[in-house]
Amino acid sequence: MEEKDRKKHHKKHSGPKADKKRKRHLNDLGLGDDEDARKRNPKAFAVQSAVRMARTFHRTQDLKTKKHHIPVVDRTPLEPPPVVVVVVGPPKVGKSTLIKCLIRNFTRQKLIEIRGPVTIVSGKRRRLTIIECGCDINTMIDLAKVADLVLMLIDASFGFEMETFEFLNICQVHGFPKIMGVLTHLDTFKNNKQLKKTKKRLKHRFWTEVYPGAKLFYLSGMVHGEYQKQEIHNLGRFISVMKFRPLTWQTSHPYVLADRMEDLTNPEDVRVNPKCDRKVSLYGYLRGAYLKNKSQIHMPGVGDFTVSDVSFLPDPCALPEQQKKRSLNEKDKLIYAPLSGVGGVVYDKDAVYIDLGGSHEEVRPNHELVQSLISTHSTIDVKMASSKVSLFMDSKPLGSEDVENQEFVMPKEEKQIDLKTGRVRRKAVFEEENDDGASDEEEGQNEEMSEDEMDGSEDGDGDDDVEGESDKEVPGQELGLRSAKRLKREETTEETAVELPAFADSDDDLEMSSGEEGETDLDESKEEAEDHGDEEESDEKESSDSDSESSSRQISKFTPCELGRKDKERRENHNLDHRLGKKVVPTTDSGNCTAEEASESEAEGSSLEEEEEEGLNDDSEAEESDRKGIQNAPEKNVDGVEWAESKAVEDEDGGGDVENLLKEEEEYGEENDFSADTAGALKWKEDLTQKAAEAFLRQQQSAPNLRKLVYGTVAEDADEEDDADEELGGLFHVSRPDKESKQKANALDCSKFPVETPQDWDLDEVMNSIRDCFVTGKWEADKDASKLLEEDEELYGDFEDLETGIVHKGKPAAEGDEDKEGKEPKAGEEEEKKKRMDKKRKLKEIFDAEYDEGDATYFDDLKGEMQKQAQLNRAEFEDQDDESRVQYEGFRPGMYVRIEIENIPCEFVLNFDPHYPIILGGLGNSEGNVGYVQLRLKKHRWYKKILKTRDPIIFSLGWRRFQTIPMYYIEDHNGRHRLLKYSPQHMHCGATFWGPITPQGTGFLAIQSVSGTTPDFRIAATGVVLDLDKSITVVKKLKLTGFPFKIYKNTSFIKGMFNSPLEVAKFEGAAIRTVSGIRGQIKKALRKPEGAFRATFEDKLLMSDIVFMRTWYPVSIPAFYNPVTSLLKPAGEKDTWTGMKTTGQLRHERGIRLKQNKDSLYKPIVREKKHFNKLHIPKALQKALPFKNKPKNHEKKAKPTKDQWRPAVIREPHEKKISALLTALGTVHSYKIKKAKLNHRQHLKDYLKRKDKEEEEKFKRQKEAKKKLFRIMGQKEKKRQKSSLKGSGEREK
Amino acid sequence: MASQPHSLSYVGCNFLRQRLVLSTLSGRPVKIRKIRAKEENPGLRDFEASFIRLIDKVTNGSRIEINQTGTTLYYQPGLLYGGVLEHDCSPHRSIGYYLESLLCLAPFMKHPLRIVLRGVTNDQVDPSVDVLKATALPLLKKFGIDGEGFELKITRRGMPPKGGGEVIFACPVRKVLRPIQSTDPGKIKRIRGTAYSVRVSPQIANRIVDSARSILNKFIPDIYIYTDHMKGTSSGKSPGFGLSLVAETTNGTFLGAELASNPQGQGTAVLPEELGLNCAKLLLEEIYRGGCVDSTNQSLVLLLMTLGQQDVSKVLLGPLSPYTIEFLRHLRSFFQIMFKIETKPSHEELQGGEKVLMTCVGIGFSNLSKTIK
Repeated sequence: MEEKDRKKHHKKHSGPKADKKRKRHLNDLGLGDDEDARKRNPKAFAVQSAVRMARTFHRTQDLKTKKHHIPVVDRTPLEPPPVVVVVVGPPKVGKSTLIKCLIRNFTRQKLIEIRGPVTIVSGKRRRLTIIECGCDINTMIDLAKVADLVLMLIDASFGFEMETFEFLNICQVHGFPKIMGVLTHLDTFKNNKQLKKTKKRLKHRFWTEVYPGAKLFYLSGMVHGEYQKQEIHNLGRFISVMKFRPLTWQTSHPYVLADRMEDLTNPEDVRVNPKCDRKVSLYGYLRGAYLKNKSQIHMPGVGDFTVSDVSFLPDPCALPEQQKKRSLNEKDKLIYAPLSGVGGVVYDKDAVYIDLGGSHEEVRPNHELVQSLISTHSTIDVKMASSKVSLFMDSKPLGSEDVENQEFVMPKEEKQIDLKTGRVRRKAVFEEENDDGASDEEEGQNEEMSEDEMDGSEDGDGDDDVEGESDKEVPGQELGLRSAKRLKREETTEETAVELPAFADSDDDLEMSSGEEGETDLDESKEEAEDHGDEEESDEKESSDSDSESSSRQISKFTPCELGRKDKERRENHNLDHRLGKKVVPTTDSGNCTAEEASESEAEGSSLEEEEEEGLNDDSEAEESDRKGIQNAPEKNVDGVEWAESKAVEDEDGGGDVENLLKEEEEYGEENDFSADTAGALKWKEDLTQKAAEAFLRQQQSAPNLRKLVYGTVAEDADEEDDADEELGGLFHVSRPDKESKQKANALDCSKFPVETPQDWDLDEVMNSIRDCFVTGKWEADKDASKLLEEDEELYGDFEDLETGIVHKGKPAAEGDEDKEGKEPKAGEEEEKKKRMDKKRKLKEIFDAEYDEGDATYFDDLKGEMQKQAQLNRAEFEDQDDESRVQYEGFRPGMYVRIEIENIPCEFVLNFDPHYPIILGGLGNSEGNVGYVQLRLKKHRWYKKILKTRDPIIFSLGWRRFQTIPMYYIEDHNGRHRLLKYSPQHMHCGATFWGPITPQGTGFLAIQSVSGTTPDFRIAATGVVLDLDKSITVVKKLKLTGFPFKIYKNTSFIKGMFNSPLEVAKFEGAAIRTVSGIRGQIKKALRKPEGAFRATFEDKLLMSDIVFMRTWYPVSIPAFYNPVTSLLKPAGEKDTWTGMKTTGQLRHERGIRLKQNKDSLYKPIVREKKHFNKLHIPKALQKALPFKNKPKNHEKKAKPTKDQWRPAVIREPHEKKISALLTALGTVHSYKIKKAKLNHRQHLKDYLKRKDKEEEEKFKRQKEAKKKLFRIMGQKEKKRQKSSLKGSGEREK
Repeated sequence: MASQPHSLSYVGCNFLRQRLVLSTLSGRPVKIRKIRAKEENPGLRDFEASFIRLIDKVTNGSRIEINQTGTTLYYQPGLLYGGVLEHDCSPHRSIGYYLESLLCLAPFMKHPLRIVLRGVTNDQVDPSVDVLKATALPLLKKFGIDGEGFELKITRRGMPPKGGGEVIFACPVRKVLRPIQSTDPGKIKRIRGTAYSVRVSPQIANRIVDSARSILNKFIPDIYIYTDHMKGTSSGKSPGFGLSLVAETTNGTFLGAELASNPQGQGTAVLPEELGLNCAKLLLEEIYRGGCVDSTNQSLVLLLMTLGQQDVSKVLLGPLSPYTIEFLRHLRSFFQIMFKIETKPSHEELQGGEKVLMTCVGIGFSNLSKTIK
């Protein structure tokens, strides 16, 4: 039984095993693989035809090159931003459910309601931002532009809907992100076959739309209102391993898909005017390209804005730390969706909020932070700045890792390089703090300062950091610090109300303060300063916990002041006029540097002055020494860690200098406090001591740092003199770096860099200084030919020159090395190792060069070059901290940024709906400008109407959606752009409109209206930008007509075409034509009738001819550009934006009928009968004609007379009978004859047939007889021959 | 309406060219006030007016407003147009003044630029056409601006004060520029030069050559200085002579120096020998400063680096000239770009003064004027 049940063995027919077997078998037979075949049958592989071979080669090469894409530099950041996954589909298809399921799959969290984008960590290397796309075409357009991956949900029970196709088309135009289809509602199919069929049909349709083989996912059914877990898991896996190709627009523009929005407007302003423009901060991951501060952005649905400030925040949804495990830890599975109220920690520029859940929601306003926000009467920015302290104090350093990271990077500016010695010095200076304060306080110059905002934010944080640090390291002082800090906080809040002049840099601050004191007209200031001194002292007493230090600091604080004064006096000689020019406004020290140094040659002269100052400083204080120590710290890069270390050191020996500094600031704060009460108008004069201290600190910084020399001044110069007020556009101020260059403002504009102090080139030392710049000089070790040669020799060792027979020996390396090892084992080993590595490298290079030689194509080279560039891009700023990196590169994609924007319409905030995506799209240079844009456009084949010139239409181009009035044109063979009234039905045409300048090659789409839904396909046209211009090239045909009024032979005088001789003169020589086709030329204007002219033609005209001239007239394009502001509409009405209507629409709505021109109406054609005259032949001609052509003079026939008429015959009945009988007889007779004839014919036929037969028989017989006869005759003949032969033979015999 | 791009405002006529050029490239309007407002003869000078006219010629749709006294200038840039043009430069400044700006703009036109400039070819103030031809053109080639229609030809030489020279400049257009990494200037392998003389004895050029060689021969033997004596119509309207020297390195760096005689009727006569010696010394100074780009072209190279793709560009320069420093500031205000500036102290080797390494990430500029078909 068992035997029987066992399956019979089947031989394998396919698969690797079978292949192997087959191969072996073939090999046994001697018919091996290809190579063998080549060997076995060389003739078959021989060149048959050179042409064909060339062709095949050509073809293979073509196919090969077809696969190539132009290589681009890979600019993806190391830590890329989350992938934007857009879930799109018609309503009720299951989008939200899918998103929820996906989120649950990745994070094990269940979201109830999803609003706006949700960012989750999906893997070790990938984060996702999932966003749902509604059916509003505005949303679809916006999201298609930022999507990396589109999940296209399709209701399988219904099939494709218009939205799906529309979205696909939008994607195609804007770069085509990856698209994955997802079929839902598959459980509605009861019939399996039907299901299969539907799946297949939908799949193939999807493939034709996207690309053959595009992934289509099937979600088979729902379980408890969710999709099946395994299917979602698979989908998630697909998403998290998907690769994306870079899209041109996205990679060349920075953009942010905002996931959070805060209104920063002053509440008072809103109270006074609820419709005032708002200041808003938006948060999100930066994607695409580098974003620069102060750059222009476009918010689709809102408008164009200038970024007033950008700062980066710690990543709220950070990728997990590097780990070995394959899967994520549970705690790394983060989710961040502030608009949906999810995400435990919310980061702000200078605060971190922790969402404590629902129960604490009510308590939150009582929180210190919020309270302080509510109670004070200053700008929100300031409040934030002040409130941050409290937050940090109460909470243990919140998210301390992140915060600290940010904080440690602060002292960037401190790194100084002495130009002379190349020494790197660092300074523990918090000058930025002052900057920050200044920036807050300076109302008018806010924008100016915000250029330095990066620094500002940096130091704000730095402050906190310092506090944190001190908390840790000097616990003994903690208490005192605390109290001091609290004080400080209060003060800063007060301080904010006070207006202070911005402090730029040391020298001039000093200059100013001392100058004021010196000058007689400012007595009060002096008094005040003294007052402050007193106050300070009293403060000192108050804060007695850290008494000793602060007192010592007092000394150090004042000494530099005096020094500065000395310094100042020295300078006053130069700068007197400037000082007079501006009293209140300080300038920058580095500005002075620039000026002076710029005039000298920097290299030599720059450090002189600084050295002097340093010298002064040096002998000034002993206290300073510890600080110097820090400065001299040899670290090159000011990394956060290093900074911390150096601080630690400093704390140890210096007794907490930083804290001293802090304390100082606190004290100043107190002073402010006092003064705020007292002085109103003279606020700027307060806390001079503070300024002095700051100035001193700055002074130290003024070592010749080139970066500072170039840029340092620009940022601060805004608050300089009166120019500052006259800034333009509200954002940028005059960048006049310093006073001296202001004098130079009208100097000679020349790029030459004259030598100020020529060296004496006759001296040997001078000459030697450039000796190595020449090929004749010494070369670097790695380039010196002789050294290289030596190395090569070592490498290759012994060889024999075959020509000469000389044997070259390599160095006895081994022995030498042994010796060395004996002496200095370690160094020798190192050296050895290095040598070996060098050798290896060289060998590899040689090998590579030889190996790759064959393959290296232009394409490969290009690719290699790009790769190299990409590496360089990554490596260049890698070792720098983010704060400074941001300055050079801009904010790099992948950062979580906070973008402040001012002057946003209030509707944006009032009507804010998180379901609608907010996108901040960065604009390139001059993309914010407007001009004429030329497009290549094609009406969409699914759109039912054709487009009319001058009908307003909505374009989606670049980031923007806007309505404009295009003109359609077609390019003639000679390059002329001829206006068209309507777009062609199935052809490309050109279009020109007035609108935002967008780079060439950008795709666009056009829709007639974005409001409501229609069953029809909405996308009217698609195309690409060809050209940008400031002038119009479109022309329309204009025919000028005229009439001849005098005609000579070929010359005619024409009138009615022009109005003046001047016009004629312009068209002299122009070609004209008559309707009948006679061509001619305009010659010259006539004097008499105005505008008439003489023209010549190739033939004589008739007076009835109409003469016309074809001319081309440039059309004017209406400068109409109206951005679609759909986001400003009230919630729920966001998809009802309507712009300018077409005249057709308006007529339809208002029931106005078009008044038609009567002439263009069709009427029934009535043709009059044509009447021809009689032909008249002249008599003379008649005479000459031959007779037959002569007109015959026929007599008119008279009417036939009565007798000529034949009378009718009326028969008698008898006669009638006779005639009837005769007719009958006749008929009978004729019938008889006919019959007989027929009979006869039949007889004849029969006879002929018979005759034929007989004849045939006869012929046969004859033939037979003939045959017989001939046979007999033949036999006879044969016989005769035979006999004759015989006879002869017999005879012979 | 699209928000009008925020304009920038400046004071004084210094760096006028920079401002107008950067404004044109960035598309941001610029307003310059108080142009020689305090001087006896206020307002724009002839040569500046001529420059503005030139900018107007090469652009399309620019709006230029100058007030009555010429002390305030408002410039709203259009798109760069190019084409075949002619321009009569003011004889107050040499053609180099105009050409320097054209070098910045020419690669970004709609149509390839081919322009005939008439005026003073060599003077003592601005870099002469000879030097620009020898140093700036190879520099542009490094950025991928190359090909058939790229030339700078001196058809006539004109000396101040009357001028009468003629120069043809042609440049192809490019959509994007290549980033460069030139951090190693290499070693000087040869020195070339031109000693020119117009409307003076042809012997003068030879005298200049001899004296210049006497110094340079101490460093390198490969020196060739052409003598260029123009006659007849191609010799301009004023007499004069001068020398321009260019040192070429193994890595394709060109360092130039030049000197011209005093214009007729101004200053004392200069001996040709003295001029040759001084010019050679100037070249040595330039070599001492070193870098991969000579001091006059610093701003040009920085601009082209800025306008590159979003890639890192690096260049090693000698000490930054005041003009360049101001240019860097302007770059920041127009393009929001900051350079990483690192000083490279001179090594123990004898290679001249210390150098500055400039690094930046390009802004991803693309030529918005060029038509695609």
